Parts: sequence; structure tokens; C-alpha cells
Amino acid sequence: MSVIIKNLSFTYSKNTPYEKKALDNINLEINEGDFLGIIGHTGSGKSTFIQHINGLIKPQEGEIEIFDIKLTSAKRPKVDLKALRSQVGMVFQYPEYQLFADTVEKDVAFGPKNLGLSADEIKERVKQAIEMVGLDYEAVKDRAPFELSGGQKRRVAIAGIIAMRPKMLILDEPTAGLDPYGKEQILNLIVHLKKHCSPTIVVISHDIDEITRFASRIVVFNDAKIMYDEPMKALFKHSNMLKEMGLDIPRAVKIANALRYKGFDISDDVVTAEDLLKEVVRLYNKKHNTAKSADGISFDLYDFSLKWGAEDILTPNATGEAQTSEPSHSSDINAACQDGDTAKKQNACTDVKDDETNHTEKDKTNDSRKQK
Amino acid sequence: MAAIEVKHVTFSYNANQPDRTDVIKNLSLEIEEGSFVALVGHNGSGKSTLAKLLNGLLLPTKGEVRIFGNPTTDASKIYDIRRNVGMVFQNPDNQMIASIVEDDIAFGPENLGIEREEIIRRVDWALSKVGMLEHKKGTPFKMSGGQKQRLAIAGVLAIMPKVLVLDESTAMLDPQGRSEVLKVAHELNKEEKITVIHITHYMEEALGADRLIVMNDGEIAFDNTPAEVFTHNEELKKIKLAVPWDTQFAIALKKAGIDVGQPVKEEDLIDSLCQLL
Repeated sequence: MSVIIKNLSFTYSKNTPYEKKALDNINLEINEGDFLGIIGHTGSGKSTFIQHINGLIKPQEGEIEIFDIKLTSAKRPKVDLKALRSQVGMVFQYPEYQLFADTVEKDVAFGPKNLGLSADEIKERVKQAIEMVGLDYEAVKDRAPFELSGGQKRRVAIAGIIAMRPKMLILDEPTAGLDPYGKEQILNLIVHLKKHCSPTIVVISHDIDEITRFASRIVVFNDAKIMYDEPMKALFKHSNMLKEMGLDIPRAVKIANALRYKGFDISDDVVTAEDLLKEVVRLYNKKHNTAKSADGISFDLYDFSLKWGAEDILTPNATGEAQTSEPSHSSDINAACQDGDTAKKQNACTDVKDDETNHTEKDKTNDSRKQK
Repeated sequence: MAAIEVKHVTFSYNANQPDRTDVIKNLSLEIEEGSFVALVGHNGSGKSTLAKLLNGLLLPTKGEVRIFGNPTTDASKIYDIRRNVGMVFQNPDNQMIASIVEDDIAFGPENLGIEREEIIRRVDWALSKVGMLEHKKGTPFKMSGGQKQRLAIAGVLAIMPKVLVLDESTAMLDPQGRSEVLKVAHELNKEEKITVIHITHYMEEALGADRLIVMNDGEIAFDNTPAEVFTHNEELKKIKLAVPWDTQFAIALKKAGIDVGQPVKEEDLIDSLCQLL
């Protein structure tokens, strides 16, 4: 178990006229390997919740256990927040606004530097992190982050978190404000990170069609409480309730519901576009007595590929010829992983896991030294 | 009459340097008064730069922008131009200047030296237009993103512009906030005949527009009705954009050998499916 949250409550501006209960008796367990989506209306408490998970907000009531670190309302014993934050990486909304250094390399190095690592170690981590997010280390390391495109800046910001080698990654609205291409890159990146970097990922998003593309489990916040905690496929049997809470339901579910309402025999399991495609083909075959098939048709909403490497980074304003010359399919990441330099990347990631424990040990000794 | 005329405009942020890069390249465009125009393009395509050229926040490096006949380079007309073309930006949190809603809305007309009675009338009118009249005495800082953006629109309305430019004003909002803002924009276009230029990354938001302009690399790539533009699936992908979900679904269905035409809206897709299945 990665995270256990028990009876967590939190009130903003307590004992003032502006008092607002943001979390009301939250109980939740996040397991190692979870790909968790969190949805909820603006103001439903989801951001307050994730800020608790990496110790930005101290619990007022209840307790949180994260990888053996216990957070409670008690003042003592003192919690090692540095250790906590190196394990739980948090990518805020519009993380590119937090870039501050004059080169990409310095920016990404900021986190590891604060962990007190050696210069070689920092350099190694920075290089891996930059490559992990799909940028060419040599091409970008000395560039100013501000010269990059919106999607690239965001990837640099994410690299800064990856360089801390967290065991769990939390992303708050990771695709907000990006164009379709940038969105697709970040979504692919998240799937890639799940596979190769951080085994547990929590994503907050308003875009339900985005969440259903990767989350295996969805938690719904409403009015400071957890309303649903369901496997992704099972959540949308509550479509009507979700709509009442002001939440979107996936487009495929909307269309399936509309067709069902009109008397068509559509399966309840339709959540993604692929599901709907299969059902439509099935019904079509039944009616027209044909044998059409949806097999092998990837419904990738945008059908862009995440490009690793220099061409993208060197031409932030490129018209796209280089990027889109060959149409590629939904599993871009996999495709990318099969090409030459990916073996290197995967090795890099294995390294990450192997010396993870060592680093935490090191961090601890560093910290205790400082305390002395 | 054309509300906005852009004639052979080139714009560069580093015009005087030897390695000059043009963000807008010899672009010409006319926008009819009373129309609702959606403007899309990937990050860095020049759409926000174009927006800022429309009310003289930026001046063309070459060429000319005319607003109701007045060139933006005419310093004596710049206040008329800015009064005619109101802009609302992306971030709902940094467009508020007062701590009480009505003070915030009054800021624009106050600066124009308008009489008190008229300001009060305009504040009420602008707030009712965006559905925020009951929050007149409230404070913007406690509001949702959608509410704040509607207030930002009201603040612009209070100076009675003829053109409203929404520069990615829905980008930072949740789905509900986005639909609130879009609804207000369409109402203003229909009821008050305000020309709306809506810049967005959400292709679905372009569907209700009369006209969709697609920018790429400082030039216009497409300029037609949304339904027509969205038939160019492959070309749009090449310039880092996408067709709406329902169109994309129809394309996937076609690959399976089932033809439902070119739906752009959900209703179209559902109708075609009903007839087919």
C-alpha cells in the first residue's frame, strides 16, 4: 500500500466568517501501481486533497500514511518532509510558470540539488529526466526555458520533478492550456512515465475523455467528500448522478446512452471510443448481415505521435512537416520504445529503480547530519 | 461593413534585429461586423499576436490594421479603437482590479469620464448580460473561474465595445465554466450584435461560429465554415490541430467500412447512427 488516508478533514479559514470545509472525513487507499484519476467540480476539494499527499498542507483531523511516513495534526515527532517530497512528486497546474532558471539544465537540477546529491549524480539524473520527457539533452540543456514552446516548457517542468525520482507522481490538470498536439504529447508522456519511472500515478483532470484513456480507477470528489471510488469502467453506470454533480461524462458514454434511449441494444460497458466503435460495428453487422470488423482500428483521438529527440526541440515553431511525416498509431510510446535509443532509456529507468533505495538512505543520512 | 480589416500585415517581435523572425507573415483578413469568428492554431502559430494587433496593443511591422476604418497606427484614434475592440485574456485571476464586483466593472467607464448615472446603468446592464447581476456587491476573489471570466467580459462590455476578442478566455476553465463563457459570447453576438472573435484550443468551441479561421506559422491555413474546415482532417493534423471528437469517430468508423458521412456535432453523429443501425 502506497498511501493510506484515514478520516481526513480540512477546513479553510477556520473560525472566521469565510470558513469553508474543503475535505470532510476522507478515507482512501492508493495502491502501488494504481493509475488513479481524480475528478470533481471546481471547489470540490480535490486540489486540497492532493496537497495533503505531499505534505503541503498538514492534516487538521485524521491521518495520512505515505510510504511509511505518517502525517498527523500532531506537532511531534517532526516529519521528514524532504524525504516525503522526494518520494511523492507533484506537478502543479501550469508547471511551466514555475520554471525560473536561465537554462533547462539548471532548472531540472534544482530539485536533486536540494536533495544534497553529488554533482555527478545530479548531472546523471538531470540527463535521464530530460530524456525521459522526450527532449534531447544535448540540444536543450543550455537553452533558456522561455525559448521553448508551451508543451516543451511543460515537459521541462515535469523533468524537474522526475529528476527527484519519485515513487509516486501526482499531476494536477497536466494538459490544461495546451493545443491538441501538446496535449497528446503530455498524455503519451504520462503513460510512458507510468511504465518506466513512477509506478503509481495520480492525475486530476476536468477532461473525462482524457482520464478514461488511461486511468484504471477513478475517484469522484463532490462537496468535500468522496462520492465514488470505482474501477474506471464501472463508474459510468452513475452517469446521471455525475451529470447532477456538474461533471462531464465521456462522449462515447453519451452517445451510447442516447442510442440505448432510442431502443438500440448497446452494451453497458461502453466507456471509450474503442468500445463504442466495437458496439456500432456489432450492431451494424447484425442488422445488415455483414462481417465488418473494428479490429486493428486505433481510435486515437488526435493520432499524433510523441516525438523523442532533437527535431522537435530544435524547431519549436516548425510547421509540422518533420513531426507528422508518417502517421502513427495510438501506442506511440510503445513505438518510440522499440526504436534504437529507447533501450538506453529503459536501462536508465531500471537504474532509477535499482538505486532508489540507496538514495533514500543517502538522503536520510544527509538529513540527520544536518540536524546534528 | 467590415469591422476589422487586416491588410498585408507582417509582425515581428524583433523587427530591428538582423535575425528577425516574422510571427505574422503578410496576412490579410476582413471580419464582418456582427459575425462570430473562431480562431484556432497550435501554440506559437501567431493567433494571440494577431489578436493583439486588432486593438493596437501591438502595431504591424509592415502593412495596416483598420478598425471601423481607423488605422491602429493613428495615435489620435487609438482610444477609439480600444473602446471599440475589447479584449478578455486567458487567466481569470489577473484581470480583476477592484475588490468589489461593481467597482471592477465601473473601472472602464470611469476612465472614459462617463457620468455617474450612466456608469451605474452600464454596470447593471453589463452584469445582467453575463448573468452576474446578483453578485454586484460580491467580491471576485471568491468566485469560480467561469464567473471571473464572465466578470472580465462584463468589465469590457461596460465600455460598450463593438468587437469582443476572447483570447483563449476558456483555456483555464473547467467544462462548466467554459460553456458559461461560450454561452455569454454567443448571446452577446446575437442580442447585442457584438462581433466576437473567439480564440481557442478546443475545436468543439468553434462549432457554433459562423466562420473558422485556422492559423499556422503566421499565416491563414483555412478560412471557411467550421463544417467545411473540419473536412480537412489530415491537413489539420499536420499543423498540430484536430477535428472534433465526433468527426474523428466517424473517420474511425469509415476505416471499419461503415460510412456515416462527416458529422461535426454529437447530434449529427447520433442521427446518422440511428438511421444506419
